[in-house]
Amino acid sequence: MKKWLVITLIVTLVAVLVAGCSQPATEQAAAPAAEQKDVYRVAYIARAQADSFAAWMANAVIEEAAKYDNIKLEVFDGQASDDTENSLIENAITNKYDVIIVQPNNGEAQRPYVERAVAAGIKVITTNARISGIPGSSSVDADPYVQAKVNADLAVSQIPQNANVVVLMGPPGNFHADARRESWQKEFFEKRPDVKIVGEEIANWNKDEAMNYMETWVQANDKIDAIIAMNDNMAAGAIEVVKDNPNYKGILSYGVDGTAEATLLIQQGLMTSTSLQSAYDLATALLDTANKLVTGVEKEINMDINSPIITKDNVEQYIEMHKRAGAIK
Amino acid sequence: MNALNKSKLWANLKSKYSIYMVLLALFLVSWLANENFVSGENLKNISTQISVGTILAFGQTILIISGMLDLSSASVLALAGVLSVSAYKMTGSLVIAFLVAILVGVLCNVLNGLMVTKFKAPPFIATLAMMTMARGAALMYTNGQNIYQIGDYVVFGQGRILGLPAPIIFMIGLLVLTWYLLKHTVFGRSVYAIGGNEEAANASGINVNKVKMRAFIINGIFVGIAGVLFMSRINGGMPNGAIGYEFKALTAAVIGGTSFTGGIGTASGTLAGAFIVGFLDNIMVLIGVNSYLQQIVRGAIIALAVIYDIWAKTKKTKLKLGNVESK
Repeated sequence: MKKWLVITLIVTLVAVLVAGCSQPATEQAAAPAAEQKDVYRVAYIARAQADSFAAWMANAVIEEAAKYDNIKLEVFDGQASDDTENSLIENAITNKYDVIIVQPNNGEAQRPYVERAVAAGIKVITTNARISGIPGSSSVDADPYVQAKVNADLAVSQIPQNANVVVLMGPPGNFHADARRESWQKEFFEKRPDVKIVGEEIANWNKDEAMNYMETWVQANDKIDAIIAMNDNMAAGAIEVVKDNPNYKGILSYGVDGTAEATLLIQQGLMTSTSLQSAYDLATALLDTANKLVTGVEKEINMDINSPIITKDNVEQYIEMHKRAGAIK
Repeated sequence: MNALNKSKLWANLKSKYSIYMVLLALFLVSWLANENFVSGENLKNISTQISVGTILAFGQTILIISGMLDLSSASVLALAGVLSVSAYKMTGSLVIAFLVAILVGVLCNVLNGLMVTKFKAPPFIATLAMMTMARGAALMYTNGQNIYQIGDYVVFGQGRILGLPAPIIFMIGLLVLTWYLLKHTVFGRSVYAIGGNEEAANASGINVNKVKMRAFIINGIFVGIAGVLFMSRINGGMPNGAIGYEFKALTAAVIGGTSFTGGIGTASGTLAGAFIVGFLDNIMVLIGVNSYLQQIVRGAIIALAVIYDIWAKTKKTKLKLGNVESK
C-alpha cells in the first residue's frame, strides 16, 4: 500500500513539474500574438558583415525596414562564427525581441538556438539559407538547387560536345554550396556524360583563390571550354585569368548571385549567365513576413523568392538595378 | 682535403642551405610528377601567386627577427587597398593611389609601434587589436561592398615590367631591400641584436624602441604595396579580401628558417619558404589531388620541411660545439 502511495506521489510530482515547466512557454508563445504594439522590435542577425552578399542583404534589410513605421530594426554581425551567432540569438531571446531574423552561418549549429527562441514565444524567420523543420518558425530563401539549375539547363545546350570544363566549389558543408553542386551534377553532368571535368577545386567563394586555380588549369590543359562556378565571385576570378588570352576567346562561364560585377561581365560578353539571388527581393519578403507574423495575419510563412536567369539578353535591367542601389556608379 | 674535413664541409653546407635543398627536392619531384610544372608560364604564375603573401612575409621576417610579429598585416592590406582603389577612382592618379596605400599601411603600423613601444603592449595583442580595427574600418568605409570598375589601376597587379608580371618585380625589389636592410645596415644589425637579447642590445646602446618603430614602419610600407598589388590583381577593391594572408606570411617566414624566439632569419630563407608552399599548392592542382587530401599533404610537407631544417641546424650546432671541444 505504502509502495503504491509513494509511486503515486512521485508520478504526481513529476506531472506537476512537467506541466509547470511547459505552461509558461505556451503562455509566452501565445502572448505576443494577442498583444498589439505600436512598434515591434526586430533583430536581424547577419551571417557576417564581411561577406559581400551578407552585407548587401543587411543593407537591403535596413532600407526595407525604414518603410515600416511599426518596425524598429537592429542589425547584429555573426562574424562568420557559429559561437558568435548563437550568442547573438541567445541575447536576442533575453532582450525579448518580437522577431528574430537569422541568416545562419551553419544551419545545424544555429538550430537549437532557433528552437529555443521559438519556444520562448518569439517569431523567428530563418533566411539564406533556411533552417527547415522547426515547427513555429518561418523562412524566406532562394532555392540553391534552382539557382544552379537555371544555369545548368542553359549549359546543356550551350557547352560543346566532348568539352573540357573546370568547376569551382564553395566551402564544403555549406548548404548553398552543396545544393548548387548537386544541381549541376543532376541537371548537367548526368545529362552530358561526354563532358570532362579537367579541374575541380574548393575556392571558398573567393575571387583570388579562383584566380590561382584557373592560372594553374590553363597550364595543365590545352583546352578549357567552360567555367562552372557555384558563385559569381569565383567565376569572375577565373574569367580574370583568361579574358585577354585569345586562346580562350568565347569560353563559357556560369555563376550564381547576380552580383554587380557579374552583370558587367555579362554585358561585356565575358560571362555567359548567372542567376539572381536578389538581396532586395529577400529583404522585401523578410520584412513583409515579419510584419504579417507580428500583426497576426499569418502564423507561419515559408517562401522562396524567384531565381531569374541573367544573360546578355536581359542584363541591362539588372545593371540598372545595381545602379539604383549604388553598386555600379 | 681528408674525409673528415669533407664530411664537415658537407654537414656545414647542409645546415646552412637545408631549406634550399628542400626547395630543390620539391622542385625536382614536381617536375617528375608533371611536365607542365617547369614551363615558363607556370613558374611565372606561381611567382605571381605568392608575391603578395611573400611581400607581407618580408615585413613579418624583420618583425619576427626583432622578437615581434604582425597579425594585422592582411587586414591593414585590405584597408590600404580599398582606400587606394577609392583614391584612384576619385583622382584618376596611379601615383596618388599608390601613395595612399603606403600612407595607410605606415599609419596603422605606427599605431602598432606606439602600442608596443610606448604602452608596452605585447605585439601579439597590439596587432590583434589592429587586425580587428583595420578590417572593421575597411568594411565600414565600403559598407561591406566591393568596389568595381577600377580601370587602369589593374596595371600594378596585371601589368608587365621587363616581360615579367609586375608583382614579381615588386617581390624581387622588396627581397633585395629586405636583404640589404638586414645584412648591410646598422638598423639590420640592431634588429638581430634586439631579437637575440633585448636587454643586452639596450645595454650596448641600441635605442630599442626606435628600432622597433622603424621595423613597424618598414612593415607598413610593405603592407601598403601588397594592398595595391592584391586589389589590382583581382580587379576590384575588396574589403573582405586577403583574409588569412597574415598566416600565409607567417608560414613562409617560419618555413624559411625565421625563428619565433627572435634573432634568426633571412629574406632569402623567407622567399624559399614561400616558394615551398607555392610549389606544393601548384603541383597538387596540376596532378589533380583531391581538395581535402591537399590540405593534409600541405600540412604534412610543411611540418617535414621545418623538422628537416631544425634537424640540419641542430647538427650544425653540435658540429660547432664539437670543434670548440676538440680545440
